[in-house]
Amino acid sequence: MKTIEKAKLDGFLSQLAQQYRVLVPVDYNGLTQFAPYSQVQEGVSKLYFDGNVTVSPKTVYLPQSEAMYKFRAQGKKLAIEELPELDKQQVVFGVRHCDTKAIQCLDKVFLDEKFEDPQYKNKRENTIVFSLACNNPKATCFCESMGVDRAHAEASVADVQVYDFGDTYGFEVISDKGKACLDAVTGLGETESKLPDQKPQTIKFDPSGLPEKLKGMFEDPIWDSYQFKCLNCGTCTYICPTCHCFDINNKIRGEVGMKLRTWDSCMFNEYTLMAGGHQPRAGKKERVRNRFLHKLQYFNEKHGMFLCIGCGRCVAKCPVNLDITKFIQQVIGQ
Amino acid sequence: MSDIQSEMRAVAKELLESGEATVVIGWEKGTMPYNSTPVMIRSAAEVDKLIWDEYCQQNLSPYLIDFIYTEDKVAIFAKGCDTRAYNRLIQDKRITADKCIIIGVPCSGMKNAKAAARLPEGAEVPMANACKECRYPNPVVFDRKIGQDVTPWCTEKNFADVEAIEAMGQDEKAAFWQSQYSKCIRCYACRNICPACNCTNCIFDQSASGWQSKDINASENEFYGVTRAFHVAGRCIECGQCEMVCPSDIPIMLMNKKFIKDIDTLFGAYEAGIETEGPTPLSHYEVSDPEEFM
Amino acid sequence: MKVASANDVKRINNLVPKVGVVREILDETPDVKTFRISTPEGERPFTPMPGQLGMYSMPAVGEAMFSVTSYGDDYIDMSIKKYNDGVLTSVLHAMEPGQEVGIRGPYGNGFPIEQFKGKDIVFIAGGIGLAPVRSLILYCMKNREDFGKLTIIYGGRSKEDLCFKEDLFENWPKVPNTEVYVTIDRPQEGWDGHVGFVPDYVKEIAPNAQIAAVCGPPILIKLTLPILSGMGYPDEDIITTLELRMKCGIGKCGRCNIGSCYVCLDGPVFSQAQLNNMPKEY
Repeated sequence: MKTIEKAKLDGFLSQLAQQYRVLVPVDYNGLTQFAPYSQVQEGVSKLYFDGNVTVSPKTVYLPQSEAMYKFRAQGKKLAIEELPELDKQQVVFGVRHCDTKAIQCLDKVFLDEKFEDPQYKNKRENTIVFSLACNNPKATCFCESMGVDRAHAEASVADVQVYDFGDTYGFEVISDKGKACLDAVTGLGETESKLPDQKPQTIKFDPSGLPEKLKGMFEDPIWDSYQFKCLNCGTCTYICPTCHCFDINNKIRGEVGMKLRTWDSCMFNEYTLMAGGHQPRAGKKERVRNRFLHKLQYFNEKHGMFLCIGCGRCVAKCPVNLDITKFIQQVIGQ
Repeated sequence: MSDIQSEMRAVAKELLESGEATVVIGWEKGTMPYNSTPVMIRSAAEVDKLIWDEYCQQNLSPYLIDFIYTEDKVAIFAKGCDTRAYNRLIQDKRITADKCIIIGVPCSGMKNAKAAARLPEGAEVPMANACKECRYPNPVVFDRKIGQDVTPWCTEKNFADVEAIEAMGQDEKAAFWQSQYSKCIRCYACRNICPACNCTNCIFDQSASGWQSKDINASENEFYGVTRAFHVAGRCIECGQCEMVCPSDIPIMLMNKKFIKDIDTLFGAYEAGIETEGPTPLSHYEVSDPEEFM
Repeated sequence: MKVASANDVKRINNLVPKVGVVREILDETPDVKTFRISTPEGERPFTPMPGQLGMYSMPAVGEAMFSVTSYGDDYIDMSIKKYNDGVLTSVLHAMEPGQEVGIRGPYGNGFPIEQFKGKDIVFIAGGIGLAPVRSLILYCMKNREDFGKLTIIYGGRSKEDLCFKEDLFENWPKVPNTEVYVTIDRPQEGWDGHVGFVPDYVKEIAPNAQIAAVCGPPILIKLTLPILSGMGYPDEDIITTLELRMKCGIGKCGRCNIGSCYVCLDGPVFSQAQLNNMPKEY
């Protein structure tokens, strides 16, 4: 497998940046996220490989705020103009396996046959994913329990598999796109080393049968104990790599406006509030229940997979430590 | 700590068994050693869930709002900051004292859970920022109290960090806050955990009003942050929860402290959440007030 | 690296509306207007099946989902109730003919037409709820020989609040093998028809049909469905429509779910049998 010394990673990324828009995991003033490599080159951000970033790489395909189309409303006249697509292919380096699985979840939603989303698809087709296997999971990680293959990234999403050998990164080609990208880089080494050891995860359970079990639990008292401490903030939904709910908004300057697609959260009151005042999910209980069931039952019923891939972000970042793994384990009785 | 913990459990048991309280709100152990998280207990059989350790930072008083329309009598454990938050809610008329039982718990300062999450296991964890500057570690109001009062380790407000920002030039200041608020993901965790952010209908939940766009950029985010800081000015009880829960690590307290400093300068020293009666700096008017701006 | 060539093929973005022109605006009631919309070229914007929905927008204001109440060769009609707290509906009600608007659709499943064929049908609606049901009624009347007896039971708060008065009192009673029953909530001067709530009226009439289509405010639906069950209508043949907040209309933005169903995609038409298997969260 091809390799690059970690000390030469900047050179490697710089080479890629000449041909592609390169996105890397960074620490920007304490917020970890994927950002253009240029931020690192300019010294604004530092590369960050110590575990997963707080804001997941779903931002690459579904930015928190994205222009959809332009319009001009002038008196009775209305003109609508679609926006140009990506003009350059992009490389995302260092996407963890859990997040490749999360993108597979998003594909089910945005690449469905009936209403394919061209803005999403455009980015999916023109993005080359270098997926990095984790040797040292965090204490909040539980991807293995959610069916993520820790040795191999989700092949429908990743283009190049990256392994961490300590002082070097090793690359294994997954797709043609990935091969073309690696072929264009010079100065790579070669190694036959065996794959690195991966430390086991501490949170472990078997969620099989969970959707079926939850089907009969809509009115279960379990929700009362889980909903109490929820703040109904949007942290879990915004940092979640699979949460994909969005709102459609305007940005208007005079007669010209932009329609935006912005992230939304099922934790917020406005999310389901109707004109006329009807509110089907009025409180914490309804919202926590809907979020957990969407992740663990509803999505499964529709698409045959969980909408939780065990990245542990919500476990780590929820302000009140409302822990979905505790919920799952209580339901399955482990 | 463990003495307080057993006292907590005993008091909770007594209150629930006697029927004096129908609900007790305290802390339980969470997923990680540095997670101590709110728990609601309705039966004496569950009191062993209650814990008291150096990570019980979350302010429990805002949960009292959840019970204003129920028949419950709610007991909460309250550190100094929780009692200031309680006074905040009483003063804002969001809760009534007759429904609440405040069990005061003197606090020696909590550890910084955010730092703990980043440090290697076993490393020394610093005290939480807000706790370092806490002047009210003992409950300022309570129906009962457990444990022994502690001597405050901080007697004066510390504005060194605010002064460092004040010393910056205008452009530098703007760049600083721009870089901070460009990180905001507008999850509203800071607002939702804040005891002073207790409005029934927040302007940031009314996107149709046009006040705040859902677009995410430094300027929209700053609008949110600054508006919120203005709204809690004179009302912030300095629990530091906003900053602790921010997933983007924005120094939110810095802005709140700037308002506290300005209020002290303009209106005389004021401590929010200590008294529930009497004039407050920004919502009280006297005919003799100077009106220099008119 | 140049982007993939597939991008050269123009893709359809379902979230981007087409421009529609409001040709006529008809006052139905003090707070309901019907908007007749065609494309700038004078064509029908899309072809809906009865019960399907359309996303209708003033891009600078907002966008919302409404049912298409009828259509012609070169237009669709959408009847819209104005809510005082509804920013969009207030603006829509203030507009004049000639206004260009955004329009996209059709969305949703629509009524299961095949299931209605050959059967005696009772249509039950209240208020603006007649708008979706009317699309089905008109379809049945247009294809009259495919359906049995048509019984229409409709109610409004007052006589002014009755929608589609011309249909109710002129057109529909003339259709063969069709009965129309209209009621208002409270007695009113100048009204000699039935007075009372729709669910009670349904009980009184006890329509002897084989399938029912019910649409109206949540309270009407909630009270009427059990009455129909009590009369022996099978759960599969009690058909209703639901309404939740929607943004995308194509099952992606998330908010209109009831369990694993999206009202915009899998609804808005559901049978009692389907509702029995769904969480009561609407």
